Amino acid sequence: MKQEMKAKRLPRLRSSRLLIPLVSVVSTFAVLILVFVVIGRNPLMAIYSFFQGSGLGLKPSYSKSSSMLTDFLSYLGILSPMLLGSLGVVVGLRGGLFNIGVSGQMLTAGFLATILVGYSKLPPPVSIPLVLLIGLAAGAILGAVIGWLKYRFNVHEVVSSIMFNYIVSFLTGYFIKTKYVDPIIRSSKQVAANAKLQVIFQTSSGLKLVVPIGIFIAIGMAFLIRFYLERMAGGFEIRMVGFNREGAAYAGVPIRNVMIRTMLISGALAGLAGVTYYLGYYSTIVPKDLPSLGYDAIAVALLGNLGPVSCILSSALITIFQKGAVYMSASTGVVREIASLVTGILLLFSSLGVSMRDRSRHYD
Amino acid sequence: MEGTADRPVVVELTGIRKQFPGVLANDDISLQIHQGEIFAILGENGAGKTTLMNILFGLYRPDEGKIRIRGQEVEFNSPRDATTLGIGMVHQHFKLVENYSVTQNIILGLEPLKKWLGLFPLVNEKEANKEVARLSDHYGLSVDPRLMVGQASVSVQQRVEILKMLYRKADILILDEPTAMLAPQEIEHLIGVIHELRRHGNTVILITHKLDEIKRLADRCAVLRRGRLIDVFDVGTTDTAKMAATMVGQAVDLEIEKEDRPFGEPVLEVEDLTVMQEKNVAAVRDVSFTVRSGEVVALAGVAGNGQVEIVQTIYGQMKASSGRILLNGRDITGHTIRTRIREGISYVPEDRQKTGLVVDMSLSENLALKTYGQLPFSKRKVLNRAAFRRHAEKLIESYDIRSGSGEATIVHSMSGGNQQKAIVAREIDLGNRLIMFVQPTRGLDIAARAHIHRQIVEERAKGHAILLVSLELEEIMELADTIGVLYNGVLRKIAPAEELTVEEVGKLMLGVA
Repeated sequence: MKQEMKAKRLPRLRSSRLLIPLVSVVSTFAVLILVFVVIGRNPLMAIYSFFQGSGLGLKPSYSKSSSMLTDFLSYLGILSPMLLGSLGVVVGLRGGLFNIGVSGQMLTAGFLATILVGYSKLPPPVSIPLVLLIGLAAGAILGAVIGWLKYRFNVHEVVSSIMFNYIVSFLTGYFIKTKYVDPIIRSSKQVAANAKLQVIFQTSSGLKLVVPIGIFIAIGMAFLIRFYLERMAGGFEIRMVGFNREGAAYAGVPIRNVMIRTMLISGALAGLAGVTYYLGYYSTIVPKDLPSLGYDAIAVALLGNLGPVSCILSSALITIFQKGAVYMSASTGVVREIASLVTGILLLFSSLGVSMRDRSRHYD
Repeated sequence: MEGTADRPVVVELTGIRKQFPGVLANDDISLQIHQGEIFAILGENGAGKTTLMNILFGLYRPDEGKIRIRGQEVEFNSPRDATTLGIGMVHQHFKLVENYSVTQNIILGLEPLKKWLGLFPLVNEKEANKEVARLSDHYGLSVDPRLMVGQASVSVQQRVEILKMLYRKADILILDEPTAMLAPQEIEHLIGVIHELRRHGNTVILITHKLDEIKRLADRCAVLRRGRLIDVFDVGTTDTAKMAATMVGQAVDLEIEKEDRPFGEPVLEVEDLTVMQEKNVAAVRDVSFTVRSGEVVALAGVAGNGQVEIVQTIYGQMKASSGRILLNGRDITGHTIRTRIREGISYVPEDRQKTGLVVDMSLSENLALKTYGQLPFSKRKVLNRAAFRRHAEKLIESYDIRSGSGEATIVHSMSGGNQQKAIVAREIDLGNRLIMFVQPTRGLDIAARAHIHRQIVEERAKGHAILLVSLELEEIMELADTIGVLYNGVLRKIAPAEELTVEEVGKLMLGVA
């Protein structure tokens, strides 16, 4: 009887794939509207201003060098690390490992690329691939070490990645402050334009269009990771281990290799996120400051239901709030921290949905 | 077993109906159970037995229908209401606190208190111990009240559950598949206990699908099929075949035809195998045996006497501390699981959901769980979905695996019997020379069980070597050519099946012979 019941439940489980993110988004907007009403702002105007700030809605006026297009390109610039970071979280979680160290891996990759290439005079055709390569490698190594610690000494990946976050933050902070500091801005010296992951076009009307290279890499990666997880033997193994480690071992999967590989890929994606962040959207590193984007990426991954391609949508949504917060704050006078509130509420709702779905399975 | 019909009716169910999403679990069931009767409820998996009893125990509310206890109409909101009326249930999986004593478990929630210095309430354990000992004596349960439950055997734990009900003054006792986990001698003891319970005027309701137990124990027997009550039999005057036929809706062929033919060359040789668990306790000690082509070797034993460890070591999930394992004459002791699979070991593990399957993946993925990395399932590391599908459709067809949406079904939603069929299909399809089965029919109904037994015999006829581990002696006697009996990790005896009787094997299993 029980089994037959489960069979009937299946369609509901399937639909929950779409339902959970949808309900999360709708309820988050509801809470947001409530917040704006309570503090006495026009909620629709306020929400629209997030979109205006992200280049997805026309502002009443622009300065000479900017337009809705430049806003949008800048939005894509910060969307790239968000998406890449969330892909890192996705790969980890699909393999049953929680990579909470995306921030640390981003910082490591950004720092190494900055000091190795960022201050050099290499031409873009050399420097850009080099920056990407360093990002990939630095993140991959850090991730693999976390995976290795897990299999060799059974150190939980959450613990070791948080520790690495601190180690990396203090270590890079020390070097930046002692060797690479720009005394005026009190953070690392700006990286040279030739090392940045962007292509700049000057229009005849005086607009400076900064096209982030990261966005193409990020969207490409989303599809690549989906292909890897769903259609390749290696991804099949990661999913097996993620769903049922004991079952995978029984089927002959070398669990340890797969665990290290999972963290290696996860870290590599986080490393890419790091270089698009520090040598793309920004060009300097604030010492001892872990990017909060590395944590927002967890919300993005969960909202995207751990689907690499769905993460394009979920990261686009969360980035609207993150990126648009500055303009929203300027135009409505509400503090910009409200963006973090939105991300937090989204994370809360989507993880609530996931846990409710898992729990519902125990009740049949 | 006579003269219960004129006794008062204690439980009366009228028109019970329970609908779960998409499934009618109980359809208009009416039953009368008399005081002091042993009443069996017989049915295949999914027939609605447990649902019906959960309704009687207050876990579910019926959509329609009435429950009368001792003539009084009742409505249960929770098991607590049922307990107040003297209904107790022992579930298949016990609900005990392992690091509490027997008495502590029994009084949990109903602790007798005494006031220390006339003020502070303390649990009066001494008094409770006495009461538990008295109850245990009264019903011949032989349970030591001070024993830690974690150290007690399964059969003692079961009796603790029964004591728990008696302590709560239950006189209508529901037992869900009580013999599933017990050795033959323990079953004897339990049967004695149940008779004793009846002698003292208790009513016992048994949920089971074992016909021989019903024959020995029950006064009457209700047969359920797909949620409906098919018939109620007087056990004394009905033969087993008729009950079986009623249960499955058709006559089943329970006999397994086993061809007699000589065994071939050795396929698996285990030599002086010792396996250590943690803390240097040997789970398996100096075990040696051989499985030849065309032979079914069965390892009998009470759960936890080393049989699972032996199989896991042969498969590579555990490490041998000493000794050798030879497959087709080649030493494989140090090989990885993947290598051993390729070298020719198939294995149907005990726990299908945790080990044998990845239940969150689809049926087609599960059927290729061990072969996904090879042609035709993948080529240059890229999976060929069409090959997965074709392979799954072939196995679904030839092994009659039923599921909601064919090869794309998420295995989680399939019934236990069909999950097991899927594992058996995958393992046999590997075409390996050695196939190991651990508890292959646990929890399966008669038809599914016969189906799997027939497959084991078929593989034997093909000249494959079969190692079978089962806690059910009946299954071992039915299938094995050679029986090895394990006790405390030691192979006490290994001999051709025809030289051993059930009693002998039972005694060896308990270490008394």
